[in-house]
Amino acid sequence: MKTFEYLRPTSLKEALDILKNHDGNVSILNGGTDLIVRMREGHSSPEVVMDIKKIPGLDQIQVDEDRITIGATVLLNDLGLNEVIKTRYPYLAQAALSVGSKQVRNRATCIGNICNASPLADTATPLLALNADVHIYGEEGIKTVPLKDFFVFVRKTVLKPNEIVTGISFKQDPEALGIFTKMSRRKEVDLSTVCSTVMRTGTEYRISCGAVAPTPVRLFKTEAFLSGKTLTGEVIEEACKLAEGEVVPISDIRASEAYRREMVGVMLRRALSEWL
Amino acid sequence: MKTMIEFTLNGEVVECLVDNQRTLLKMIREDFDLTGAKEGCGAGECGACTIIVDGKALNACLVLAVEADGTEITTIEGLVVDGELDPLQVSFIDNAALQCGYCTPGMIMTAKAMLEENPHPTENEIREGISGNLCRCTGYKKIIEAIQVVADQNKA
Ligand SMILES: Cc1cc2nc3c(=O)[nH]c(=O)nc-3n(C[C@H](O)[C@H](O)[C@H](O)COP(=O)(O)OP(=O)(O)OC[C@H]3O[C@@H](n4cnc5c(N)ncnc54)[C@H](O)[C@@H]3O)c2cc1C
Ligand code: FES
Ligand code: FES
Repeated sequence: MKTFEYLRPTSLKEALDILKNHDGNVSILNGGTDLIVRMREGHSSPEVVMDIKKIPGLDQIQVDEDRITIGATVLLNDLGLNEVIKTRYPYLAQAALSVGSKQVRNRATCIGNICNASPLADTATPLLALNADVHIYGEEGIKTVPLKDFFVFVRKTVLKPNEIVTGISFKQDPEALGIFTKMSRRKEVDLSTVCSTVMRTGTEYRISCGAVAPTPVRLFKTEAFLSGKTLTGEVIEEACKLAEGEVVPISDIRASEAYRREMVGVMLRRALSEWL
Repeated sequence: MKTMIEFTLNGEVVECLVDNQRTLLKMIREDFDLTGAKEGCGAGECGACTIIVDGKALNACLVLAVEADGTEITTIEGLVVDGELDPLQVSFIDNAALQCGYCTPGMIMTAKAMLEENPHPTENEIREGISGNLCRCTGYKKIIEAIQVVADQNKA
């Protein structure tokens, strides 16, 4: 690992000043479970590593009547074991607890999982299905970007060098039913071969998938097809075919393109069949 | 570049001037000569480096030494109190829950943190609890039994 300056700001303002003063050569250190591995492997050699864990107020899950906000430094274990999340949004809790091992989740954050922008980020699909918003602090104060517009490409987001994510929030929708599925070679400490969240509110459906495109994606065409329809075996088959055609997976060490495409259909069929 | 840090290591307040790029695992093993925690994969996959930081089991290979500033750390060496082994250590020996021993310090620290959180785990909870720790020798059965014995003592 190359050496670097280690800075630990205690306010967002101080963090922003550090970002501005170092002109894009700063890596934000949250739980570090992605960043430290990348630095060790030489994929990332920042001049400054800025640890944001001592900025007060970012480690809370705030439950308001109409919104839930996950702070930037909230750990995956704390998200997955949170009572409100577990009871109202079990698919989000399951996604959080499906990441790595207990030790990894004791350090890794949900916001780090999202900012890392891996195509297979496990917490991305439930948050995409919940229409979550990303809150970004920069020179003009706080701005909000829908999560679906936050991801740009593999490991690329809309974040500018002097911006920092303060949290992710979503509108409370306790009526919504959701199903999270992670397919991996091994049950524990493995990355998703494919993952998805299928959600139903009334007769509307939201479908998101990971590891089937350069970023986690929503399947808007398939959603539009299902919208307002009564579920039948035939409708489900049609939707699965559409979904398989809507994703653009690649072949890699974990699976082939064809396998991934087929699994998108399998995950959707299983989820929708729960609501027949 | 280096940073001066202060933290509590196995009950003792210590100071250290560390290289910023040093991992917590390297610091503990090389600067403090506590070689219980092992480096297996160096990437969060195997759990051989597990230590307890502020009550939580962490992979020390995925933490920077500078991040230890202000924390309270327990390593396997800190489980021995007045020359007495921890009940988990005794149970691992009595139940032959190790062969080469490389995974053992990490396994015991994971079990320690798990039992602090949940003193009466079921067998399944134990299996899940240690799923971030790989063992290439034992086949896990003896390890699970050794932890179960201590969990049962907690009940009594
Ligand atoms: C053994 C192992 C297993 C894993 N298994 C999984 C898995 O099953 N599923 C999965 O999805 N991931 C997995 N991961 C990847 C990783 O653990 C997760 O992506 C984790 O959630 C990252 O969070 P972090 O807080 O550690 O991020 P960090 O490493 O601290 O940060 C990740 C990236 O996001 C940026 N960043 C972090 N916070 C902010 C912020 N507030 N504002 C702007 N940028 C920010 C950082 O600069 C960095 O580029 C695994 C990693 C390991 C080592
Ligand atoms: S050496 Fe840290 S998890 Fe393998
Ligand atoms: S005893 Fe050899 S790795 Fe576990």
